Amino acid sequence: MSDLDKAIAQLRACRPIPEAQVREVCHKARELLIEEGNVVTVTAPVTICGDIHGQFHDLMELFRVGGDPPDTNYLFMGDFVDRGFYSLESFLLLLCLKVRYPDRMTLIRGNHESRQITTVYGFYDECLRKYGSANVWRYCCDVFDYLALGAIVLGASNTLEPANEETTRDDIEIEVCNADRAIISQFSRRGKMGSSEQGSPNGKAERTGPPGSAASGSSGGTVGNPTGAVLCVHGGLSPLIDTVDKIRLLDRKQEVPHEGAMCDLLWSDPDEIDGWGLSPRGAGFLFGADIVKVFNHRNDLSLIARAHQLVMEGFKEMFDASIVTVWSAPNYCYRCGNVAAVLELSEDSSGQGFFARSNGDVGRSDGGATKGVLMDSDENFKRGPARRYRVFQAAPQDSRGMPAKKPVADYFL
Amino acid sequence: MANMPAPSIPNLLTLRGSRGGSGTRGRIRGRGGAQSSATTAPTPSHDTIIQGTDTDAAISRMSAVDLGYLDDPYARFFIQAPAVGAAVRRLPIINREGQERQIVSLGAGTDTRVFRLFQRGNQHKLIYHEVDFPTVTDKKHHVVRSTAAMSTVLPKPEAIAETHTWRDETLPGGSQYWCHGLDLRDLSKPDATPLSGLRTDIPTLLISECCLCYLEVADASKVMKHFTDRVPHLSVVLYEPIHPHDPFGRQMVSNLAARHIRMPTLEDYADISKQEARLRDAGFDTAHSLTIERIWEDWVSPEEKERVDGLEGLDEVEEWNLLAGHYSVSWGWREINLDGWRIGPG
Repeated sequence: MSDLDKAIAQLRACRPIPEAQVREVCHKARELLIEEGNVVTVTAPVTICGDIHGQFHDLMELFRVGGDPPDTNYLFMGDFVDRGFYSLESFLLLLCLKVRYPDRMTLIRGNHESRQITTVYGFYDECLRKYGSANVWRYCCDVFDYLALGAIVLGASNTLEPANEETTRDDIEIEVCNADRAIISQFSRRGKMGSSEQGSPNGKAERTGPPGSAASGSSGGTVGNPTGAVLCVHGGLSPLIDTVDKIRLLDRKQEVPHEGAMCDLLWSDPDEIDGWGLSPRGAGFLFGADIVKVFNHRNDLSLIARAHQLVMEGFKEMFDASIVTVWSAPNYCYRCGNVAAVLELSEDSSGQGFFARSNGDVGRSDGGATKGVLMDSDENFKRGPARRYRVFQAAPQDSRGMPAKKPVADYFL
Repeated sequence: MANMPAPSIPNLLTLRGSRGGSGTRGRIRGRGGAQSSATTAPTPSHDTIIQGTDTDAAISRMSAVDLGYLDDPYARFFIQAPAVGAAVRRLPIINREGQERQIVSLGAGTDTRVFRLFQRGNQHKLIYHEVDFPTVTDKKHHVVRSTAAMSTVLPKPEAIAETHTWRDETLPGGSQYWCHGLDLRDLSKPDATPLSGLRTDIPTLLISECCLCYLEVADASKVMKHFTDRVPHLSVVLYEPIHPHDPFGRQMVSNLAARHIRMPTLEDYADISKQEARLRDAGFDTAHSLTIERIWEDWVSPEEKERVDGLEGLDEVEEWNLLAGHYSVSWGWREINLDGWRIGPG
């Protein structure tokens, strides 16, 4: 067993590895990440994950539900650290897996992968507590600076691999499964079907509306159209970025700036507004459906997958399924009571499905002008890949060995 | 555990341009000492645990002061060790107008509002009562007597013999401060002795900030009845959690139960309409209730929001909305003109 495999085994047991080994792993990771572009190209199949936030035991639950690496390819959209009690073990495990299986693990940067944020929200304190010095925190922060800003998933299939022995119809666009791999609901491209019969919770009755659960899990099914690539980014879009190629041109190897394109990609949120708006977070922007639709059209994208926002049902599709929030930290901060989800995109094995060319240089005759995109509704939108959301809850309390230290002032008392 | 050698923590917004807040404000950080004593005792009584919630409150208050959310020079006197806590806002103090007034604050604990009120040179004659467990009022008495800044505000904090109650009746303008050391449930008894110094002839505001929610439902009602039976010109403000049945609420109940904290009234007054009904049932002609989320959105001025947003930067927007949606402020009155506090068509 190599040292790296030993480190992985140790971290899987939620035990920190020695400082010298952290340094070595971080060094290797940096060598690897420095070769990656700002936007990594990933080929389906892949399982896309949102925020983890140091909830190590829930990350183990995620692997149990989504499949163990390297058997499952993973794409983590940042926010590995802060808030939870095991940021160190969570991030180092993911990093070791990245070094061990570089083609099967993709890590992109979240707004918490930053020196400044980690000193406020817990990772810095955790490193001090576990190592007695800030060295490990520094090694990790140096890695943060090299993490990619986004990823493009290519080759995702229009149809899903069967989730289990039950027959899966090939026109299923969205399928929601629970942690035991049972199908909760299915939605075809033409309309809703399966076990969930209520209308879409976002009030657009003509759209399909999963998951049976509750209001914030909303998905409007898209209707048949050619598919495009999936852009993954932690936060969202930036008014300074109109093509994916512009992301590629950024100088990313630095602390997350307080403003500008790189900051926006990690901080922005979609919202029910027109155009751009000020973010209540004080960094990044809010952006509306029009912004997403124009961006996706111009860049040959069918979907933007992002994380960054707690959604109680684990995932939330918005704007006619042109963007989805994936959230992978169940019972966030041990207090929010939410479920988590991962998004699986299947490999297109038919040879007929979509395999996009590299995006960003679409060269449309209309130059991606907005009028056609917004007026003609579905006509101009790329058909989304088939999406399977696996929803899971927090790991059982007895598996996590909650630290004796209880968080203070969890509630107003 | 020894405090970690934490250097001053950079403020998230120091490097941001125009909206930047209090750039140089350092944060006092440390670990240990911040835990309420209630969580370490082997089998503390529920009363002890509820008293411990005031330690949470004091720490939150201190944190909020440190960060510039609150201006409260007295908060630190009730903190025993360098303490850290997530910055938590307490409610804005309640504005008052008029002449002779009375406030009764139930389960006031280490609350410092009274010092800020009297320090300001109160315009009006104000009788201020606080009620809490004897151990709490004794400790408060000790802190006030031994702290110059507080003795200045309350120069003659005299104990009443054979009791855990102390007061200062010598305040400017005829104002008085009373700190009653008793078990609140004593007031729920039919033959309960009214609070010493309680006036029944002047407009009175009854306050419970996360206090009545720890009593059994019947006791909580009877405590309110104790005052509605005696004071005709009465208003009330309650600050309590709500929505125990949704995912966040269920988790809250479960997390608090793990700390042996129980809120019996939460089930019965589970939303703002039930809070309003509760106040009407208690005899208040007008009753309103809003979530903190709504109050923050609708009542707090854009300038104040910007000020608060600018203090630290908040990457917990969704979490804040969840939390703020699970707390309510309910208020009502009778035989007092408080029309300014009326909301909505009703």
